[in-house]
Parts: sequence; structure tokens; C-alpha cells
Amino acid sequence: METLIFDLKKQIIEALNLEDITPDDIDTNAPLFVEGLGLDSIDALELIVLMEKQYGIKLEDPGKSKEIFRSVATMADYISKNRKK
Amino acid sequence: MIKPLAYNIVSSLGFSAQDNYAAVRRGQSGIVPWLDPAGTPIALSHLDREKLQDAFEKQCKPSQKYTEPEQAMLLSASLAVAEAGINPASVRTGFVLSSTKGNIELLGIPDHGLGTERIHLWHTAGLLAAHFNNPNLPLTVTNACISGAAAQIAALKMLENGLYDHVVVTGVDMASDFIVAGFQSFKSLDPERCRPFDARRKGLNIGEAAATIVFGKADGKGISLTRGNVRNDANHISGPSRTGEGLFRALSRTLEDLPRDEIAFICAHGTATSFNDQMEAIAFTRAGLQHTPVFSLKAHFGHTMGAAGVLESIISMKALEDGIILPSLGYEEPGIEGGLNISTATVHTNKRYIIKTLSGFGGCNAALLYQTHS
Amino acid sequence: MKKITAYSRITDSLVILNGKPCEITFSCEPGPGRLAEIYRFLESGYPKFFKMDNLSKAGFLASEMVLRSLHYDMESPDESTAVVFANRSSSLDNDKRFQETISREDYFPSPAVFVYTLPNIVTGEVAIRNKILGETSFFILESFDAEKMMIFVDWAFASAGTRRVLCGWTEYLDGHSDLLVMMVEKESDKGFDFNKQNINNIYRT
Repeated sequence: METLIFDLKKQIIEALNLEDITPDDIDTNAPLFVEGLGLDSIDALELIVLMEKQYGIKLEDPGKSKEIFRSVATMADYISKNRKK
Repeated sequence: MIKPLAYNIVSSLGFSAQDNYAAVRRGQSGIVPWLDPAGTPIALSHLDREKLQDAFEKQCKPSQKYTEPEQAMLLSASLAVAEAGINPASVRTGFVLSSTKGNIELLGIPDHGLGTERIHLWHTAGLLAAHFNNPNLPLTVTNACISGAAAQIAALKMLENGLYDHVVVTGVDMASDFIVAGFQSFKSLDPERCRPFDARRKGLNIGEAAATIVFGKADGKGISLTRGNVRNDANHISGPSRTGEGLFRALSRTLEDLPRDEIAFICAHGTATSFNDQMEAIAFTRAGLQHTPVFSLKAHFGHTMGAAGVLESIISMKALEDGIILPSLGYEEPGIEGGLNISTATVHTNKRYIIKTLSGFGGCNAALLYQTHS
Repeated sequence: MKKITAYSRITDSLVILNGKPCEITFSCEPGPGRLAEIYRFLESGYPKFFKMDNLSKAGFLASEMVLRSLHYDMESPDESTAVVFANRSSSLDNDKRFQETISREDYFPSPAVFVYTLPNIVTGEVAIRNKILGETSFFILESFDAEKMMIFVDWAFASAGTRRVLCGWTEYLDGHSDLLVMMVEKESDKGFDFNKQNINNIYRT
């Protein structure tokens, strides 16, 4: 789980072009949207692409994926249970 | 004020403005089941390539190879110019192209053999002017989904400032893999025919079309384009404003103190995405238009992008000519907070003003006001 | 007479604000790296910059320089400012990037790249940054044309309530930048005349 969380943080930083942020700067349990990293609707769509590209997980629209994208921890949990690659 | 002298629409519903308008009056939709580049089912207003090429070759007698968007553009412009009876080669005639992605399909065909300049929008506009032996530098307007309105506003300024006597405004866009994949990545496509303003709306359909309006100076008769304005939301590059800020301001500047009860209808952008339709309701209400009949043409044509502003204005003007408010196809169940007066049946009207609105990526919003003098 | 009250110029080798070269020592080749260096030089503190495509980054920076030199109030929403840009290559630089995400072998279309496949997004980015609610427009021309620029500005001023127009040529393709962004004001006792000769002079510097 530790490795997955670290890899996921690196992938999020790269996919969302988060400049001047390292994996250590991201609080695993903090909300990703609005507060925390302050991500927006396009970032949510980009996270859907990340899930499919890196883990083979196809997600529906961002509305239904809200719970999964709540924090890095919730994302990692979902990935570990549903990953196809 | 400027006056449309002739119109044309090339879409899945026909190759003339009259055929397209008649299809709308019959409640017909050009949207058919289709597949995105990954093989996922979508719905698309598809322009038949064979029919397009046949009509294009018959009308334009080309002496060189043209791409599909170029064929649609030239066919539409050429039919409208012929109907208007203007001299397109005159130094007093100007051409304006409205397109978002033009020949973008060529990016996916590295060996297309048409030269590196072919992908550029200025080159596409150049082909348009060159087809008519027009000596002036054509203008390309590319302002996302409001391009077709921005192009008409440009024509209004050109004619009012005496730059030209006639301006040909042509909008065109095709559903390239590029555009379909992009909208799909935005999760904004409804796999079925779209439902603007409806409670069950799930997204938009892409539409392929070219449309042309030939404008001249107004003479106090028939229909005229009176005013038009563009305003920005300054909110988000893809998400509509929660307060409808830009659209509200574009409408306020365009309507000025025109009594709202003199407006026959609004032909809204009505893409059938959840946020767009709600944003429009907020803006219309803020502009005092909550009781004005509203319809969207997207369930007939899909979202025709760079052509949308031109095509939907033409259908609206034809409805105004007939004194008719069109029903909003695909709308059944109220699905907008605050509510709007969505048109559900063909209704006669003797009011003289109509509004066309559009909103697009980049936070831009446009409102156009047309009126009939007869 | 309309006046140019501030202007900026960004090319592969130059960054100029109101006629004066900025003292930036570049360590990167012309292109995205250099745009990031200009961003850091300006100390804009706007992390969203890094999410933009290159055209938006370049247009954002050129606008940022002009507006800051005028102490433009970026906190108060204002409808009296318009943003009118033009270029040659539309969003082709970023279109190529999006095309890479939809190849048959590796088909993962990126929404964050797709949204920038429209050139007018740069006008939206400038509007968002500065709370500009006025007109935003984008035109395509084969090459820079001062006369056309003057016509576009006239059109923007014809829209009721417009008092100033941030206008310019914002071209970016394959690592090469060519930008001229000007603030044109209707009633100002500062600046210099907005005419063909002056526009061409500053474009050619």
C-alpha cells in the first residue's frame, strides 16, 4: 500500500502538472478537491484517464467518482481492490 | 443593422436552408447512432460523404482536390452566393470563415499530400475567397462554440463601417476523430439523441454542418441583424459560470431597454449538458427573460460547433419570417432549477424580435438580436 | 485618438516591456522551459500557469507584463476591458499534443490537453486571471497585420461600455514564440498613438 500511495502521488503530480509539489507535500488523507490541492473539474476528468491508463480501471463520469477521488487514500484503496494492471 | 440576402445550410437534414427548416418543422432529427474512435457507441449528426461530394462537384465543378470540411464550406457558400445574386469577386465583397477546427483531421493523416499549410484556418479561409476569385484577405473567427455569432458580429461591423457592401459568413466543422475523442474525454457526450433543458439530459451530440449567410446593408424591410455582443465569464475555461455572468452581460448589452415582452423567442445554445443549460436559465432569468419562450435546435442538428451560430441563426430567422415559435425537440420533463418557458409546440407569434445566444469554452458568451420590419 | 498605454513583446530571443528589455538570464532553449523562466522572473504566483498549454502560457505572460505595468486592478470584476487576440497557427502547437494522446496504439485522449485545442482559451485565461468580463475574441490571419489589428480594436470599442482593449498577436508554434500585446485606451493622456506606424515599429523591435 505504501508503494502504491507513493506511485499514485507521483502520477497525480505528473498528470495534473502540479508544479513545485513533491509526493511528500501531498497529505494522503486530505481532500483533493477545493481544499487541499485545489483541483477542479478538468483535473477530475484527467484523474479518470489516469485510473484507466495506469490501472486499467474504467470509471463513469466525475460525479459518480466523487467518493473515489476524495483523497489519495480513497483512490489507493479503490485501486488496490479493482486494478486490472 | 444589416440584412441577410440569402442563406444556406448543408447538414444531415439537407443541403438548402429551406430543406433544413422544413425538416425542423416536421420535427425531424439528423442524429444517428455512431461509434467514437475507440468503438464506443455515440450519437452523431453525420453528413453523408458521398452525397456531399456529389452535390459539391455538381455545384462547384472543382479543378483540384478538396477535403471534406472544405467541400462542405464551398458548397454552402456557393449555393448562398448564387441565391443572393451578389458579385463575389468584387473588391466590395468580404468573406468571413467561422470554424473551430477546420482541417484538423489532417493531423491524423501524416501522408495526406496536401502540403503543410493546409491544416491552417487562414488557408481554409483563403480557399473560400479564392474559389470566388475574391481579391480581399478573408477573415477567420475562431472563438470556440460562439464563433458563428462572433463572425456575424464581425460582418455587422464590416458593413456598418463601410468596409464592404456584402459580407459572406460561412461556418463549418466536421466530427473528426480529434473532436469526438476530445468531447468523449470530457464525458460530455450523450450516447442517445440529446435532450436540451430536460431533466434527463446527459450531454451533447456532435453535429457536422456548413452554413452560410450573405449579408448586405439593411433597407428597413425584411429581417435584420440589429446588434450583437460578446462577454466573458472570467470564471473557468471549460465550466459554465454558476451565475451566468458573461451571458447575462452579453444579453443586457444587446437588448438594452428593449421591452422583454416584445421578444418572440430565444434560440438558446441548449447543448443538453447539465451545467450549460442550467447556466443559461440563470442568465435568461437575470436578463428578465424568464417568461420568453426558449428552444434549442441541438436535438435536430447536434452541436455543429463553428457552424452552430450561423446555422441556428438561419433557422431562427426563417421561423421569424413565418411568425412561428419552434418547439424544443427532446424536451419533455422540466429539468432546470428556477424554470424557464421552454417551447413545447409550434406556436404563432406576431412579435418582431428574436434572440440567438451561444456560450463556449474559454468562458465566452454571445447574444444576437434580430428583428423583422414587415 | 486611441493610445497604446503599455505593451510587451516576447520572441525567442527577447522579452520587452514598454520598450525596455527585461533582464532575464535564460538557461533554457527557446520554448516551454523559457516560458517557465519568464513566469518565475515575473513572480506571478499563479500555479494554474503550469496547467496551461504553451500558447496560453505565452499569452498569459505577455498580458501579465502589460497589466502589471499599468497596475491593473485584477481583483475587481470589470466589463469595460476587452481582450482581442489574433495569430497565424491557432492552437496547432497544442493540437499536435492532443493528437498524440489519440493514436491507435495508445488511445487515452486527455481532457486537460483537449481543452486547450482552441486558441481563444488564452483570452479566457487572461480574463479569469484579471476578472475581465468584457468581450473576448480571437481571429486568425496568415501573418501579423497592424491594419487588421486596428480594425479589431475598433470593433471591440464599438461594443457598449468598452473603455480599453488588451489586444495583440499571440503566436506560438513548435517552441517558437512571437507575441506583441498592447493595452489600447480610448481616453488617455498617457502613452503613444495607436496607429499603423507605431504598431509596426514596436512589432519589429
